[in-house]
Amino acid sequence: MTDITTSLPDAQPERVRLPPSRGSRKTRMAAWLFVAPAFIAYAAFVLAPLCMSIYYSLLRWDGIGEAQFYGLSNYVTVLTDSDLLQIIGNAFQLVLYFTLIPVLLGLAVAAAIRSHMAGRFGTITRTVLFLPQVIPLVAAGIAWSWMFASTGLVNQTLKAIGLSSWARGWLGDFVWALPAVGIIGAWVLLGLCTMLLVTGITKIDPSLYEAARLDGARPWHEFRYITLPGLRQEIGVCITVTVIAALASFDIVYISTQGGPGITTTVPGLEIYRLAFAHRQVGLASALAIVLMVLVLISIAPVQWFTRDKK
Amino acid sequence: MSGLTLRSVRKNYGDVPVIKGVDLDIAHGEFVVFVGPSGCGKSTLLRMIAGLEDITSGEVSIGDRVVNEIEPRDRGVAMVFQSYALYPHMSVYDNVGFGLKLAGTPKAVRDAKIRDAAKVLQMEHLLDRRPAQLSGGQRQRVAIGRAIVREPDVFLFDEPLSNLDAALRGDMRMELARLHNDLGATMIYVTHDQIEAMTLADKIVVLDGGVVQQVGSPLELYNNPANLFVAGFIGSPKMNLLELTSRPEGNVSSAELSAGLALNRGALAGTSLTLGLRPHDLRVAPNGPLNGQVRLVERLGNETILRVSLADTTEITAVLPGQDEFAIGQTVAFDFKPSSALVFDENGRRLPSPG
Repeated sequence: MTDITTSLPDAQPERVRLPPSRGSRKTRMAAWLFVAPAFIAYAAFVLAPLCMSIYYSLLRWDGIGEAQFYGLSNYVTVLTDSDLLQIIGNAFQLVLYFTLIPVLLGLAVAAAIRSHMAGRFGTITRTVLFLPQVIPLVAAGIAWSWMFASTGLVNQTLKAIGLSSWARGWLGDFVWALPAVGIIGAWVLLGLCTMLLVTGITKIDPSLYEAARLDGARPWHEFRYITLPGLRQEIGVCITVTVIAALASFDIVYISTQGGPGITTTVPGLEIYRLAFAHRQVGLASALAIVLMVLVLISIAPVQWFTRDKK
Repeated sequence: MSGLTLRSVRKNYGDVPVIKGVDLDIAHGEFVVFVGPSGCGKSTLLRMIAGLEDITSGEVSIGDRVVNEIEPRDRGVAMVFQSYALYPHMSVYDNVGFGLKLAGTPKAVRDAKIRDAAKVLQMEHLLDRRPAQLSGGQRQRVAIGRAIVREPDVFLFDEPLSNLDAALRGDMRMELARLHNDLGATMIYVTHDQIEAMTLADKIVVLDGGVVQQVGSPLELYNNPANLFVAGFIGSPKMNLLELTSRPEGNVSSAELSAGLALNRGALAGTSLTLGLRPHDLRVAPNGPLNGQVRLVERLGNETILRVSLADTTEITAVLPGQDEFAIGQTVAFDFKPSSALVFDENGRRLPSPG
């Protein structure tokens, strides 16, 4: 017994062993070094400001002078002040426009491009729809405010087709200003959603559609049983991106209506900016920002859960 | 239940003709295999029958109904795809029952049919799984099950076994043959594998360049190929094809062969001919007309395959029974029965056999 073990050359067990690639201290150090630059940037520009916002939200502070500890009073204000609640409600109304229109239209366009418009026409459609993504938001906002003006393209069109009674100054109308802002956002986001969905639909095995046709599927069935489940993850990404764009919107509103008339189109992003830099209520602005962040997370979580890969 | 007829069927992609006029009659209950090299148009032809490709001209009839303008779902066909095409988010049960569900089949009837198909294909234990949880062979079964439950007039198979490993392919081949026996339905099967074609088919359709080269039973094609293409395509290992010129100063082997086969007949003098010899028809004979050096020996146990280089550097393959010893570099000579040799003219057409 002992003879056998001692007769083995010493080096043999060493040679059989795999090279110590994972888990050794040196490689772990290297891994941390690679992660470090990104982590430091993330910590400096995301984590630190987040912690500071949470801290500011507990203060009563004008941003310059001395700060007083204010407990959760800022949060109580955010959750009870009727104006602030309406502002948060506006953001959720914008979700309807920013998310529903681009995702539904994007799905329709993607399905149409797959079945009827493959080739050059499809490419042109995709490019045209993606253009709004390339145009600076400020330019888009200005262009749309001209179109929505009393003498703008929208009203001219309505008058031309005999609907002059519908014509109005859209962005100054207490009822219609928010939907008008929503349409601008939908227009901007449609390209992104279409792009994602068209790319996703090309990954679906075409023979699935053929098998379905042989199984007796009509276009609606193909959409319902193949396209929709096949695009689940892309739809998830679209909804996530557009919901965040709606809840955290700022630029489109700032350019087109500045939150007016009254506060009918004011959104939390705009209000945070005003509170902090115009009204010098840094604590309240920070509390609103934290509440907004929590609302975004709560809104996104179910989307992520529904669209996760179930295999 | 019905047969199928193709009349002058053509398919062009733009200006490029892919199917150049196919006429074909398939009787009810026949197992027909379309075979040919990649790009010969066999899959296109199958997809035209299924209704997944438009027909440029000609007529496709299933039973006594012209189906050119009829939607795939109404043609009474079911297809098994090369990629299986299983709906990834549905369970096996739902995959198999999808067609029935769309057709509005009552739930109880549907359930019975799905379970029957699962029983036939021995996949009852898989019904709750998703396609991603199945092996290649199991997916193939599900795809076949989906076709069976629809009780189609015609089953279409588009290279269904090409994604399986060799052993599984053999098993599935036998199962398909059994299935055809049990169901008695018309089946059309596309493959580039001539062994699948030979083993499964009642009738083989050999296609090349969008043209039917020959239609016949496996043995007809093996014994009497109509042209060089069919001769080279059917049979494994491939038929030996030797270039001959029927003139006295031709190379050694061909001159001897011509003499031996009495080919130097007036009408053919001066023309190029091709001699086809099946590897299994060659016999070792010390003074045989084909002699050369052994280049490669493959011992399969029941037979030995030799690759031999002739004097004019042409390589031929011989399959010899048993386990005789051969060494690489050794000189060996073969002869053959003149009746087993096939002769083809300059255009590749078969000439009456010599001898």
